[in-house]
Amino acid sequence: MNRLLSSLRDGKGFDIVLVTVPLLFLIALSGLPLIYNVVMSFQEVDMFSLGTFARPWVGFKNYIAVFSAPETWPIMRNTAVFVVCSIAGQFLLGFGLALFFTQKFPGASYIRGLFLASWVMPGLVVGAIWNWILAGDFGVLNYVLKSIGIISENIFWRSDTNWSLWAVIIANIWLGTAFNMILLAVGLAGIPRDLYEAAELDGANGWQRFWTITLPMMRATIGAVISLGLIFTLQQFDLFAAITSGGPANSSNVAQYWAWEQSFRQYDFAKGSTISVVMIAVVMIASVIYVRSTRHEVRG
Amino acid sequence: MNQIWTQRLLLLVALLLAALYLFPLYWMYVTSLKTGSEIFATPPGLTPANPQWGVFGYVWELRGMGRFLWNSVVIAFGTMMLTAILGTGCAYVLARYRNFWIDVALFLVLMLQVLPASLMITPIFVGFAQLGLLNYPQLAVVLAITAKAMPFFVVLVRASFMSVPTELEEAALVDGNSRAGAFWSIVLPLARNGILVSAILIFMQAFGEFVYSKSMIPAVELQPASVGLNAFMGPNTTEWNNIMAYATIYVTPILAAFVILQRRIVSGLTSGALK
Repeated sequence: MNRLLSSLRDGKGFDIVLVTVPLLFLIALSGLPLIYNVVMSFQEVDMFSLGTFARPWVGFKNYIAVFSAPETWPIMRNTAVFVVCSIAGQFLLGFGLALFFTQKFPGASYIRGLFLASWVMPGLVVGAIWNWILAGDFGVLNYVLKSIGIISENIFWRSDTNWSLWAVIIANIWLGTAFNMILLAVGLAGIPRDLYEAAELDGANGWQRFWTITLPMMRATIGAVISLGLIFTLQQFDLFAAITSGGPANSSNVAQYWAWEQSFRQYDFAKGSTISVVMIAVVMIASVIYVRSTRHEVRG
Repeated sequence: MNQIWTQRLLLLVALLLAALYLFPLYWMYVTSLKTGSEIFATPPGLTPANPQWGVFGYVWELRGMGRFLWNSVVIAFGTMMLTAILGTGCAYVLARYRNFWIDVALFLVLMLQVLPASLMITPIFVGFAQLGLLNYPQLAVVLAITAKAMPFFVVLVRASFMSVPTELEEAALVDGNSRAGAFWSIVLPLARNGILVSAILIFMQAFGEFVYSKSMIPAVELQPASVGLNAFMGPNTTEWNNIMAYATIYVTPILAAFVILQRRIVSGLTSGALK
């Protein structure tokens, strides 16, 4: 007993306790739900069988039901459009800003840091603000677009089925740009200055320097930033809840919102967990890529 | 001379970019101060003609914001404490050693960081219902957010433990400290800043959390401000000045904390997030 106590204070036991307690907590609250999710996707789960473990097994019926539902493929397409366009927008704007802020001028790092304000705000607040900016009749975005002549009629961003997904994408690009910019700026700062000086002596212009030095040197960072973008974009829920609620008629619905809707609006927990299983598999693949690209960077 | 002007020009462009990017925030503040008819004016005014300072007190009373914000603070504080207590030790061990099992644990932590809350809520909700945890909804939400937020905390804090030289800890051990003593009196104080900043980030994240609270807290008097804001924004709402006032009250403390701690938050993020 004494040996055990002293090991806890002064030996291997100390490390083991420090690391196993949190890991057990994580396994209980993330690992078990993950497995339970898969179990439920093969069962019939509704409000009545919620409290019991003895639910009827239905095999792949839930999966068949999900993949044969008429709304499935439009929602999957929306998810793909949402992910690709959000990441492209966040990345390009973030990269542009990061390149701009590598220039030396007073206050550069402070002003750059201010951009992160978007990232610390609650998602619901961001959603509320964009809700108002994107409002059809009196929204300021429509007013600006009309004054500079891009559109002649008001766009009803949130209620027009052609635009509702774009309303959320615009808000999500705004939300993620700052984070992309900061991470890319770290990567840019890590490129040795003398590479550029040598290239300049050799007569390479700015454009050539960007393509032959900046981009190749940034490959690992770009990989990490894009896979992080994929992970964060697939986590985006608050903006959908705040701006369109997936509507009208599922035109802006994406898989991660749909899964929640099935469970907590339709109370069809089996269907909700089936969609979750599929999407979690997608996220897992993305994160393996992310982990691999960051490992590469740390260990060289 | 030429260089000074280039720098001034760059600064000007930087300020313009920042102003453009942060315009939505400005628009929130301005809209909250406008009158109910002024918000529908065309062209929309860039400043309120007649600032309605009373709107904040009015919305505070109307929506019972005191209770909502208090619930948000309770949930955020609980999450922060639980995360810090569990996560700090974990981050320390993961920073100190390098072997196969540590790599496995690190990989596990990184993988758990990526699970979307809106997908995990279904099994967590059903499991918590069966365990009876939903009878204590705020506790249930704290547990769920902690599981979601802890990997992020561990990754950030691990980076700050890595910057503490092992020699200092070894010297303390030679001087007769126990492992626990050296951890408590040498390593922890040296990594204090990183831990604090990460804990504040977790607080901010939990303060704005929505999906777990929305799904697991049916009772209005226990809901946090994010759920309250969602309920305030009906599909056909027109009282945007009031909604923006709600958002202003909700977000201003976070923004103030962010502006004060900006430098530390940015450096904490950049040291941890890519490693």
